[in-house]
Amino acid sequence: MRTLFRFGAVAALLGAALSTTALAAPPDNTIVVGLSADASTFDPAQISSRDNSNIAKHIFATLFRVTFEGEVEPYLVEDTKVSDDGLAYTFKIKDGLTCDDGEPLTAEDVAYSFNRAADPANAFTGNTPGFVYTTLGFKSAEVVDDLDVKINLSAKTTLALGMMAQVYIHCKDSYEKMTLEEAAANPIGSGSYRLASWDRGSQIVLEKVKDPGTFDTIVWRVIPEASTRTAELIAGNVDIITNVAPDQIEAIDASGTAVVEKVSGTRRMQVGFNLGEGVAGMPGAKEIQDPKVRWALQYAVDVPSICTQLLGTECERMTSLVNPPNGNPDLKPVPYDPDMAEKLLDEAGYPRGENGVRFNIRLQGPRGRYLNDANVVQAIGQYLSDIGVETEVELLEWASVYSPLLRTKEMGPLFFLGQGGVTWNPLYDMSLFSTPDAATNYQSWKDPRWFDDWKLALAADTVEEARPIINRMLKLFYDEGPWLQLYFQPDFYGVSNRIDWTPRRDEEIELFAAALKQ
Amino acid sequence: MSVETAGRPVIVTRPMSHRRREFRRAIRSMVQAKWPVVAALILICVAIAAIFGPWISPLDPNRQDIMMRLADPLTEGRRNAFFLLGTDGLGRDVLSRLLYGARVSLLVGICAILVGGTIGVIAGLLAGYFGGWIDDVIMRLGDIQLAFPFILLAIMFLVILGPGVMNIIIVLGVGQWVTYARIVRAQTLSIREKEYVEAARALGDPTFLIIFRTILPNIIAPLTVIASFNVASVILSEASLSFLGLGVPPDVPTWGAMLADSRDQLMANKWWLAFFPGMAIVLTVLSFNILGDWLRDFLDPRLKTMA
Amino acid sequence: MQSAIVIIGVTLITFTALQMSGDPTYLYVSERATEAEIQRTREALGFDKSLPEQYINFLGNLARGDFGNSLSYKRPAIEAVMEALPATLELTLFAMFLAIVVAIPLGVLASLNRGSAVDGSIMTMGMLGQSIPSFWLGIMMIMFFGLQLRILPISGHVPFIMPLIQGDFVRAFTNLPQTLYYLIMPGFAVAFYSISRNARLVRSSMLEVLGQDFVRTARSKGISERAVVIRHALRNAWLPVVTMIGLEFGFLIGGVVVVEMVFSWPGIGRLVFNAINQRDIPVVQAAVVTLALVFIALNLIVDLVYARIDPRVKL
Repeated sequence: MRTLFRFGAVAALLGAALSTTALAAPPDNTIVVGLSADASTFDPAQISSRDNSNIAKHIFATLFRVTFEGEVEPYLVEDTKVSDDGLAYTFKIKDGLTCDDGEPLTAEDVAYSFNRAADPANAFTGNTPGFVYTTLGFKSAEVVDDLDVKINLSAKTTLALGMMAQVYIHCKDSYEKMTLEEAAANPIGSGSYRLASWDRGSQIVLEKVKDPGTFDTIVWRVIPEASTRTAELIAGNVDIITNVAPDQIEAIDASGTAVVEKVSGTRRMQVGFNLGEGVAGMPGAKEIQDPKVRWALQYAVDVPSICTQLLGTECERMTSLVNPPNGNPDLKPVPYDPDMAEKLLDEAGYPRGENGVRFNIRLQGPRGRYLNDANVVQAIGQYLSDIGVETEVELLEWASVYSPLLRTKEMGPLFFLGQGGVTWNPLYDMSLFSTPDAATNYQSWKDPRWFDDWKLALAADTVEEARPIINRMLKLFYDEGPWLQLYFQPDFYGVSNRIDWTPRRDEEIELFAAALKQ
Repeated sequence: MSVETAGRPVIVTRPMSHRRREFRRAIRSMVQAKWPVVAALILICVAIAAIFGPWISPLDPNRQDIMMRLADPLTEGRRNAFFLLGTDGLGRDVLSRLLYGARVSLLVGICAILVGGTIGVIAGLLAGYFGGWIDDVIMRLGDIQLAFPFILLAIMFLVILGPGVMNIIIVLGVGQWVTYARIVRAQTLSIREKEYVEAARALGDPTFLIIFRTILPNIIAPLTVIASFNVASVILSEASLSFLGLGVPPDVPTWGAMLADSRDQLMANKWWLAFFPGMAIVLTVLSFNILGDWLRDFLDPRLKTMA
Repeated sequence: MQSAIVIIGVTLITFTALQMSGDPTYLYVSERATEAEIQRTREALGFDKSLPEQYINFLGNLARGDFGNSLSYKRPAIEAVMEALPATLELTLFAMFLAIVVAIPLGVLASLNRGSAVDGSIMTMGMLGQSIPSFWLGIMMIMFFGLQLRILPISGHVPFIMPLIQGDFVRAFTNLPQTLYYLIMPGFAVAFYSISRNARLVRSSMLEVLGQDFVRTARSKGISERAVVIRHALRNAWLPVVTMIGLEFGFLIGGVVVVEMVFSWPGIGRLVFNAINQRDIPVVQAAVVTLALVFIALNLIVDLVYARIDPRVKL
């Protein structure tokens, strides 16, 4: 039988493969990270996703960087001068820096990095020309001399240095020679690693060229399915995995080969109250206009239980939109007290009807976007229904459905959302509500007290000076704000016992300090 | 492409004239083969669950209690609840979801077949009976669809339409039509020239009447066989779409979605989350397949001479 | 000509479907983008033009073999697809191979032992195979063979076709054992359904053939049972399986999307799934057209093979 013979041959081949293959841990000079999504581009001005920029941060250096503790500190910069009006920053970069292409890294490269991203002819859509430059009010960058570069802004902001920590410095000579397509696959940076190979959809390999960095090789493996990531970690083939499914924490901790590191992240999870025109006339939209109703609903949701049961960790309920430790220390998390919620709703004029229902409302949320989001949203729906606010839960696909709804402010009236924050400046976190019509004011919250104070807070020279105003604003947000406060999203990283590594709070994966366990 | 006609075992049927005798013969052959009886019994149970689910299920399938999540089978819950088959990741009763799930899963399976079957039968009849450009257009459309990996089409439309039982039925149904159209067309081609059709034509019967009254009854039997196999694959497709996050909304229980949701807990040894919906799918699909097998053997005279 | 119609139909469906889903611009701007920035991005991506205009542009470029640049990868869409295609071909061809070489012996074995325990267990397996979703089978295999027994790799891919195309034969063939080793689990996960179905198909057509006159005649002539089975019965029995192969590809590709997710296989299924979610229309188009071409080519080959093994068919 010819087929059988062929089958036998294949079996023999496989046998040979089995005997030669070592299913062993990575070598000592290599660290392997399992990510859920691939990078899409390495053009510094096109990078936009979190996973993508986590890899890029090892290839491109930046003028500043945010430390593990959440402070902004100089990286390539040696000295900073700010003009009196706060609109011009002059940086002196360190002497003797080099690019991956062998050229020295000078002020010219820095100015080029800033201006290239802003050039409308390139039509870039990445994080730098979009979010960073908009927040920064970036105008232009110019070379002063060999090591000095001047960045011009259109408005004064205390966020400037933190934002500049997100602009990747790359090397002019190489980029001028490349087409945009070539630039997407050939990053020429100034960081401590360079891109060695990129098997799309499979893995990205970085090689060390200079310090800082402990491992000679970093391998980023793309493993979209959570169970597979967990299995690879337990088997010892991968050293660090991201986005561990909460229900798999136990299995990892019990494996003896890896543990789960939990950090309270900076992403602020909330149920937004849409107070705007987008939902006018919908059931529940009128009721939540009343701050007393919003306050009552805070009592209805058992946030600590959601964390322990659905997210697999302890957490403290948020008191405002600002990440600790920058919040108002006087505010205490609203406890879970359904009786209080019912009492307040009775007082607000929404007693239970004959069928036990006070009023109906719709709660929308994305699925697959945040940690265990589908389950959390459903659980919140149940909590609200329990106190007589009959909640219809609707889970939507993020990219095509939910995101456009957010843009046009037509989601809700209740909607589940998580917004990234930072630890280095409370004003960054608060800037979601910069104007009543701001794109990120998804709730269309228009309380004039907040926006008057916001102007005062921005005008202050330092954050400390603005502190009394900030605290007053946060108290207002706590009492009458447009958020049903939930939690700072915990992040779970599976870490092999082979490795010594502590995750950061801000969803960044920084491997410079990771090391083999002694 | 000559795939559609060449070599496929063509199932020959005769006009069913002696219905009652046929039926008795069917029952006898079924009992003789034993397994089809078991399969039929299982399907009757599933059908009972599907029809009476809301009355016989012990708890509200969407009532959550996150403090009681992932409870083992045979656990006592709060508020007098008793979880015979345990609870899922949101503390919902697995048994109740299983019973309600029977309804949605069968509904999706059968309705998708009806949608696909109806489109396919009409298209096939038209193509086979009229031939010419109608045949060309319909069969080209079929080629286009077959050249287009079905799952991609399904993903694309579900991403656009959003999750929903109705949408799933339509997408999975439309995905099936070509199979039916091709079979019906082949059958129609062979029946078209038969005497009784010629006779009807000579008598001046309107075309559609000829198609529906004389041709359709003669091809319904092989279609039933195909359909019984396809219900199985539709239930599986629904599970795969749930895995990709494109299935039914999360408050609608289906076996496929329950199985897909269980995957995070497999590693944590919460076996009941996958085992019960899995068994439900396996038994149902198995039963449909056994019945389909039996039906084919029963209807295909060549195979009968074997035994 | 027919193929051209098929291709145009396929692209038109894809195009309208993805455009119907609304303005994809929002996917390509940051959370805090201003109205002006959104408008600028919309123009940069070409979504500001009318739909017919976009489609005509697309067809014009298609005629020159240009699908445009991927919106998310910022490089030619066809390049991204061609990079992912070899991995998917490896997976589907291997699965097809399994669906034939595993299924035929099983089906023959079952038919020759009709009614025995062997037949029973093979058919039960077959039935099970048709009722287990591939993602579930995949995860179970990972947990059992990858984690418990540790005899098979959990996920990943070693390229064979890619270096072959690039002309690096040495690398291709040194990779081959590894390629196959990494293919075992995903291959079975994709093929399990087809193996089951084909085994049953072979069994019933074997039974049919074995009962026919020419086989009886052969037997009565005193030809050995082995020869009867191989020379006569088998040759006829696997015709229906060959017929299936052409369609099988389209079917297997369906399973591939899910299995590529589970085993992190860098293939076209995952690429398209992500592209659909990102509304990366050029990539979806390029992938769909490529797959359609592969499908058409495969059917052509099947027809040729069919003509060889079945003397009744004249091309």
